[in-house]
Amino acid sequence: MIGIGPSLTLAGHVIPLRPRAALAAAAHEAVTMPRGLQLWIAFLLVLIGLAVPAALFALPPGWEVVGTTPTVEWGLLIVGYVFFAITTSGLCLASSLGTVFGIERFRPLEKRHAILALLCLTTAFGIIALDLHYPVRMVLGAVLVPSPTSPMWWMGVFYGAYLCVLVVEVWSMFTNHPTIHQAACTTAACLAIAAPATLGAVFGVLVSRPFWHGPFTPILMVCSAFLSGTALLGIVFYVVARLRLTGAERAVSLAIPAIRTLLAIGLVLVSVLITRQLIAGLIDDRPAFVDATRALLVGPLALQFWVVRVGLGLAVPLLLVALPATRTPAGTLLAALLAIVGVFVDRFTFVLAGQIGPTTVSGVVSAPWAEYTPTLVEIGIIAGAVAFVALGYTLAERYLDLREARAHVFVPIPDLLRSRVRRLLGALQADGDVR
Amino acid sequence: MAPLNDLPNEGGPATPARRRRRRGQSQRRRSRVRVAAPAAPVVDATVVDATPHPAGLVPLSEIAPAIAAISMSRRRFLGFGLAVLGGLGGAFGLSRLFPVFEEPESAVRPIVPAYDPARKAWTFVVDTTACIGCGLCVVACKEENNVPEEDLFARTWVERHAVTTGGARYVDSPEGGIAGFPPESTAPGAAGKTVAQAYFEPRLCMQCEESPCTSVCPVGATYRTEDGIILVDARRCIGCGFCVVACPYGARYLTPAGEHVPNDTPGVADKCTWCYHRISRGSQPACVEVCPVGARKFGDAADPASEIATLVRERNPQPLHPEYGTRPRVLYLGPSVQEA
Repeated sequence: MIGIGPSLTLAGHVIPLRPRAALAAAAHEAVTMPRGLQLWIAFLLVLIGLAVPAALFALPPGWEVVGTTPTVEWGLLIVGYVFFAITTSGLCLASSLGTVFGIERFRPLEKRHAILALLCLTTAFGIIALDLHYPVRMVLGAVLVPSPTSPMWWMGVFYGAYLCVLVVEVWSMFTNHPTIHQAACTTAACLAIAAPATLGAVFGVLVSRPFWHGPFTPILMVCSAFLSGTALLGIVFYVVARLRLTGAERAVSLAIPAIRTLLAIGLVLVSVLITRQLIAGLIDDRPAFVDATRALLVGPLALQFWVVRVGLGLAVPLLLVALPATRTPAGTLLAALLAIVGVFVDRFTFVLAGQIGPTTVSGVVSAPWAEYTPTLVEIGIIAGAVAFVALGYTLAERYLDLREARAHVFVPIPDLLRSRVRRLLGALQADGDVR
Repeated sequence: MAPLNDLPNEGGPATPARRRRRRGQSQRRRSRVRVAAPAAPVVDATVVDATPHPAGLVPLSEIAPAIAAISMSRRRFLGFGLAVLGGLGGAFGLSRLFPVFEEPESAVRPIVPAYDPARKAWTFVVDTTACIGCGLCVVACKEENNVPEEDLFARTWVERHAVTTGGARYVDSPEGGIAGFPPESTAPGAAGKTVAQAYFEPRLCMQCEESPCTSVCPVGATYRTEDGIILVDARRCIGCGFCVVACPYGARYLTPAGEHVPNDTPGVADKCTWCYHRISRGSQPACVEVCPVGARKFGDAADPASEIATLVRERNPQPLHPEYGTRPRVLYLGPSVQEA
């Protein structure tokens, strides 16, 4: 192929590095792809295109382009960050049943778990970078001026490590390094519990916010993580089965039934924890806790809570996965879609309920409720973030080899350690013999 | 993906050096697969000639590309070294631009040489029976500390707590009380109701001994000085807002962009410092100095003969909301203590 110039070979595809050649190749590819895919990618690009100016507006520190005030300091961007961060963990929690514990029926389409997790975590970091006024200071300060009393610092440590492990996991998956891959999967599964639990602790340590405060917040965060990760996999596996993509047979025979089971477990867990939270809020004697619970049940968040969170986000999906008539791929898709929207709205009501109770911050008295309305900048960033994950995944689905390789065969960690120790002992013995 | 896939993997004709490299890669890949999963079939079956030359019999023509490959790797090594150097240089440049690692020495060390922070026990007492809600303290604070003029931002403010004849309790603070208070409460639902009793409650940072703001800050930007005052290093703060939501007394905010901003830094946490720049020079905080009725008292409780020590000893002022367990160092006299 004369004239292509320098190129980069990635997953078997040659990507020209000269701008003109790269543009020509991309244009050719765009023209020749199926019409449906063209429309889907165009839609996602439009969303991302709208998010770019929103992100640029949000970059300079102190610009009042978001709807937050000193009273409601954490808004939609924090909600988005929490949602994508816990979804990452949920993806790894769901896949760990197969990759770490070796349960065959939960090990269906492993590559997709890892790619989605990497995309979600990258997106979460992007959103938090836009929410922070000085993200560069965060990175440098967290490394060079550690603050171990702060759960936010630990959250940064765990999610930072998580990102590195996910990169190794994806790399080892596509380059046939089963030992490294196994170790990365196991580490990722540990971090998938530690990271959202610490994220829960960011809220849970705040004595000033009784609604968030307490040991159940990290538990709720981990369970919500499990639910949202499982729900995202449910959506993806349905698409794989419906469009007959690579591994569609496994998706139908193994993945969708497995996801249905996991979805049911997640929904029940979250329902129990939310019920506990409501009961605790109703019988607590701290006014701020009672106010926050009142905001959810009968206050400004009641519509989101009852209709989206409880009704569409928990009750309907539970019925869909429980009733024999709806235990179909389409029923599972609907349950997963509703559950993931439910988790997002749940994180929204959770973050808001902790802040909108009657209070006085920085000289502003909020009564009966503090007000918060997300701006177009915040909504644009979140829409762009969702589109980014969808686009990244679409491109991965189209251009990466997502066949499940034999090299990913489960190697139990004890066996792995035993073989390593045996080899080491053998080497030592041989060394002794030589001497 | 057909057009891209049609391209050769290495973007050029297969030279002996390329062939050798590919062979080496496939052999390495195969050996790794075998070590970890013996039963797994070899996925990459592109290796055609795996017979190596016997040692010492390699013709010079085949060594030459290998030498070329070595020089390539040296070039790569140099490139890597340059990249590392570039990264270090960039990090150095960034640290100059954002000096987050400097110790806030100027703030921790006393401004006045004779000032000994270790021997101070600064204490603030607010007498809510004396406060008339004139708002002069709010004005003085905004002027002294360059606090943004908008209503949303205040280092200190005054609340009015009103109880109606029906027993309902309303709290209002129009514009932080900067211009005083109208006769009727401005709280939602309070219009037209008869106020049976009311009092004014000045608020400011409590400089808590067990401060949540300092312990939650992920980068140590909020810190406590030796004399117990909590300050924010505007050069280190990342603007995450964790301290703002962690403060049980609502004493913090993130600075907006604009000319009228403390420390001239937008997007960082800000709060009352008890006018640290004044008290460490022997002056009173601005709000204390302008209060016409002496509702705000400030001093060093370590000196038993001081007015503040006497006040604390004789009238036993109490903190607001002790249930948070933060041990505030602003103490209140009057009805606000009973209500809290």
